[in-house]
Amino acid sequence: MKMLNLIKKYGTLIGFFGIIIFFTINLPSTFLTAKNFINISQQISMLAVVAFTMTVVMVMNDFDLSVGSMASLAGIVAAVLFSMGYPIWIGILAALFVGIIGGLFNGFLVSIIGILPFVATLGTLTMFSGFAFLISGGRTIFGRDIPSEFSSFARSGIEISSLDLKIPFLSILALLLLFIVWFILEQTTYGRRLYAIGGNAEASYLAGIKVKQLRLSAFALTGVGAAIAGLMYSSRVASSNPTQGSGLMLEAIAAVFLGMTMSEEGEPRVLYTLLGVLILGVLDNGLTQMNVDSYIREVLVGFIVILAVAFSSITKKRN
Amino acid sequence: MKKLELLNLTKSFSNFKALSNVSIELLSGETHALMGENGAGKTTLIKVLAGILKPDQMTMKIDNNIQNIYSSIQSKNLGFNFIHQELNIVSYLSVAENMFLNHPYPKKYKTIIDWNKIYKLSSNALKELGVTHINVKKKCAKLSTGDQMLVKIASCLIKTDTTPSLYVFDEPTAALTLQESEKLFKVINNLKKRGAIILYVSHRMNEILEISDKVTVLRDGIKVLTDKTSELSKEKIIRSMVGKDLSDNFPERTGNINENIVIDVNNVHTKYIRNINFKIKAGEVLGIAGLSNSGQREIFNMLMGVDNIAKGKISFMDQKYEPTSPSDAWKKLISFVPRERRKEALMLKMSVKSNTITPHYSKLSKFFFLANKKQENLITNNFSKKVQLKYENMDQSIYQLSGGNQQKVVFSRALASNPKLLLLDEPTRGVDVGAKLDIYNLIIQLTKNGCGIVLNSSDLSEIMGMCDKILILKDHEQYKILENFKINSQDVLANFYESKKQ
Repeated sequence: MKMLNLIKKYGTLIGFFGIIIFFTINLPSTFLTAKNFINISQQISMLAVVAFTMTVVMVMNDFDLSVGSMASLAGIVAAVLFSMGYPIWIGILAALFVGIIGGLFNGFLVSIIGILPFVATLGTLTMFSGFAFLISGGRTIFGRDIPSEFSSFARSGIEISSLDLKIPFLSILALLLLFIVWFILEQTTYGRRLYAIGGNAEASYLAGIKVKQLRLSAFALTGVGAAIAGLMYSSRVASSNPTQGSGLMLEAIAAVFLGMTMSEEGEPRVLYTLLGVLILGVLDNGLTQMNVDSYIREVLVGFIVILAVAFSSITKKRN
Repeated sequence: MKKLELLNLTKSFSNFKALSNVSIELLSGETHALMGENGAGKTTLIKVLAGILKPDQMTMKIDNNIQNIYSSIQSKNLGFNFIHQELNIVSYLSVAENMFLNHPYPKKYKTIIDWNKIYKLSSNALKELGVTHINVKKKCAKLSTGDQMLVKIASCLIKTDTTPSLYVFDEPTAALTLQESEKLFKVINNLKKRGAIILYVSHRMNEILEISDKVTVLRDGIKVLTDKTSELSKEKIIRSMVGKDLSDNFPERTGNINENIVIDVNNVHTKYIRNINFKIKAGEVLGIAGLSNSGQREIFNMLMGVDNIAKGKISFMDQKYEPTSPSDAWKKLISFVPRERRKEALMLKMSVKSNTITPHYSKLSKFFFLANKKQENLITNNFSKKVQLKYENMDQSIYQLSGGNQQKVVFSRALASNPKLLLLDEPTRGVDVGAKLDIYNLIIQLTKNGCGIVLNSSDLSEIMGMCDKILILKDHEQYKILENFKINSQDVLANFYESKKQ
């Protein structure tokens, strides 16, 4: 019985270490190295940022399907401004502003109008994507239009000369956002209230929590997160295209769900979301190195997400 | 079926006897009214008939033959039908489809649904009840509640092989208008003429006297009266429902009522209630009473800012009070214990601490936004002690606690702001006897500290035992306030049943 409890609580974590051991054995010289892990941290940094801020809305039992197209739109907005000759900081601010406005719009639809988050953000997903195409004229913006200072951000990092390693700025930025979201959710009254809404929205309302305002603002945070991820992506590939963020949404939600299998009562916690992101990132990295076909990779990743969530819901039901 | 007898029916839930040795005889062509206060055992009896609850002991005889009920399907096959307030109507299906929900659809060539036959059978069933104004092709959503109920009754007549023999009506008129009720009574009369047995549960004295042939009264699970309606009077029924004075089990009031007025509600209307007028002094307990759904919930919604004030004025602690959300109420030190603990008060999967602290985050925060964990722990500890909460630790999830202890968490959270006014909506519902007494003692203690209290309870003895004055609601309107210290429970109950014009 104790064994079962242990597996129930740490099943996903055990699975994670299983994956790492599997790759270490199969890729003895390349997988378990500092360099590879730094590489992974850079690969997952965009997904991580989206997943962290997605956690904020999922704490309230809502979710946001529009983050992917918001990431595309924000990248495009910045790039278009760059190509018109505006300075970098204007492009970045404009992209973040678009993120806030888009997020607030989602929040408005969900909490003020009262549309289900699934339907509302499905609608804005298409809208944001349409705007991205509209503004860019459907083209990828690259080359001289993207200032080199902007794209060099993603390529540089903090050198640790003694170990001959470079910690990329993108990874550091993701860590910073992890800290911010963790601080908001776990240390402020704001975050506690979001958890209360997730626990029981009606009871929270009757207990004096301003449910509408909080939901609105939480969606805005998620929008900003998506915009930051879009900027990171544009910086990394030194270009912006209107579909660049399309893979982010499903993986971010998957990461939060993976994380939820580890928490006490199945609620989202941002540190567990980090683990979820790591699982997805390690899987992707390892399978790529093993030359597994990318379609098979997708099947495998989907299967593992379902496995983890199914396992945890079965064991929790038994309890 | 000419005669249905239940003999020596006993049913207990753990230590609590819901029914003991109840016998009742129901005859074909007769409307038998079943009466009693909340918790008297009416619902238990109905559930036994429906095969939902298994009695500890019972002999059932149909036409003098012993018959057992093991399941709800069997009860249905015996021809027992139950009509509740909640109708299980699928509103986006047509009347005819709803009537056929429990019956196989007639088919052409064994494949295609024979719609003509469905429409014909269902309108025939309605006609048999004397109902001709309902179009069976209409969507049920477009029907009034009363008509929906008629549809539900008629659907029992669809099946031709076994004519339904027992109809149980459980407070059917609670949601109906006067005209709809009249229609229903006609239908019940028609059923009676067809030889059906009718068991009718209602709190409405006037209709009981009007339509029933016999009355049985239950009190605390015991049958106290069965007689022909013609031999009975309203007063006699009420007396047997209430029994002896019930307010003995309540703690003695010790504190004094202060002269300071906590809240003054002056002729307030909202969208849902009218003419609400009362004052509560510091340390005073105002009871709210009336038949169920007479506007009790809406009074709390008004005070909490859930429903906006449309007309009239409220002043709270000598200041104008116009709440637009519950957050305004909590800020002014008005605390609320909602009726449905699990739905409206608690986050079941969250900790004792989170649940206690939820309304008080802003007061406890550091620099307006940081959670003050030390203070949160302190408050949770203090108030859990104060309400004598039995728990392991404050990070324990709420769902692991018993119902009574869950309710104590709701109380400790209401007390944590040291409220000036405490709103209690059915505070002891689903709470065991011990926890009940703890809650009563808490209320007394609060009044000593000058807290005003609004207490709604469908348990009349609780109102009698705890309150200084009683506001009686009728049809979402204030009917009167009884301020006499020696109010007698029969008088209170009689007020519920008086019609408005008297």
